[in-house]
Amino acid sequence: MIIKLGLSALLVSSTLFATSDMSKWIRPNEVPQPKDNKLTKERIELGKLLYFDKRLSANEKVSCATCHHPKRGWTDLVPVSKAVGAGRGPRNSPTVLNTAYLRKLFWDGRAKSLEQQALGPIEADVEMNMPLEELIPKLQKIQGYVKLFNKAYPNEGGINNKTLAKAIASFERTVLSTTAPFDKYAMGDKKAISKKALKGYELFIGKAHCADCHDKFNFTDGSFHNIGLKDGDLQGKDLGRYNLKRRAAWYGVFKTPTLRDITKSGPYFHDGSVKTLTEAATICASGGRYKNGVKNKSTYIVDRHLTQTEISQIVAFMKTLTGPDMKLDIPTKFPQ
Amino acid sequence: MKKIATMLVIAGALSVTLSAKNWVVDQKGKTFIPSKLTVHVGDTITFKNSDPFAHNAYTDDEANEFDVGMQPTGKETHMKINSKESFNVECAIHPNMLLEVTVE
Repeated sequence: MIIKLGLSALLVSSTLFATSDMSKWIRPNEVPQPKDNKLTKERIELGKLLYFDKRLSANEKVSCATCHHPKRGWTDLVPVSKAVGAGRGPRNSPTVLNTAYLRKLFWDGRAKSLEQQALGPIEADVEMNMPLEELIPKLQKIQGYVKLFNKAYPNEGGINNKTLAKAIASFERTVLSTTAPFDKYAMGDKKAISKKALKGYELFIGKAHCADCHDKFNFTDGSFHNIGLKDGDLQGKDLGRYNLKRRAAWYGVFKTPTLRDITKSGPYFHDGSVKTLTEAATICASGGRYKNGVKNKSTYIVDRHLTQTEISQIVAFMKTLTGPDMKLDIPTKFPQ
Repeated sequence: MKKIATMLVIAGALSVTLSAKNWVVDQKGKTFIPSKLTVHVGDTITFKNSDPFAHNAYTDDEANEFDVGMQPTGKETHMKINSKESFNVECAIHPNMLLEVTVE
């Protein structure tokens, strides 16, 4: 009887897996681009220069790349970022990787496009602290930039808030994940990931319910959740999306991050409070760091009763979502 | 003459009320089905939830503003079209869900 049940379970598992649809994990054919800011070589190159140029910050020591560096998983690998001056921002630096596919940017989703997002950190006092009314005239005095903006955005008024945002967004739109072992597996190479990782994948889409939120090619459905990192109500703490509008569903919620290249971008979660993928997976799959009394905790965050072995299998799977770094020449010389 | 005019106004109002239609939108697979609707003022939209998890349809459109709150699996909610302004509905949890409502 025990053997029969065992075989039956194995058969069901194999059948489910053999017929499961891999297409949703495959990269879309095109990177989404707004109609008024289609990608061109000139726009991407200009955006790249601006992204790495420290003159865009108040003290000329911080660029976008300081907190979102390609060699640090497009983050800064610290819990919360160091800003201009001695302060630190309130949140973990989110990766720029695959943001082209997102409809809401920032941990609280306050920007609806990369163009909207691009200027926020430049002006934020806890980041680059550079008012645009100072930055735009400053850039307009750099003849090299004047030429590049006119070439990239002819007839759009030269260097202004809009063209600056568009250029940076254009570069960010090219920051894409490369082919990871799991991509090869999804495309048919059944030896591309280990048996342990494969078991982790089955848990990921099944018992552990990770794919309820970490879904599709980018391993996020863009949803917002309070995963119970803090206890009780959040008086005096970060209220997340609720800061945008006092909507009940937004109390203490933050965006589901991508899992692409996840091994490169720790520590994890919006507050950077978790150092390892094992701890992150355990929190999500066990009902949150705080199990009870968490106001507006997501209904997705419940105890899935996973063993330590199962957690390690899921972590092994998540590691197969990391690919080689994208090819990128980091600029060392900037327009004068 | 005045009586006829009054009767016409009442008839018109009755016509609007009688022709008001209820549209059903399901939330399934983290998608509004259908994703586009053309409605008239006075119509209602019933939101179903066939997903195994909660949704929260809302719009910030001023004239038609509504927020159904957390809507568990199987529960139905309703909204009435009050204004001729077209608007979009999103899910507060899953903002990739988008319903475009054109009001004619």
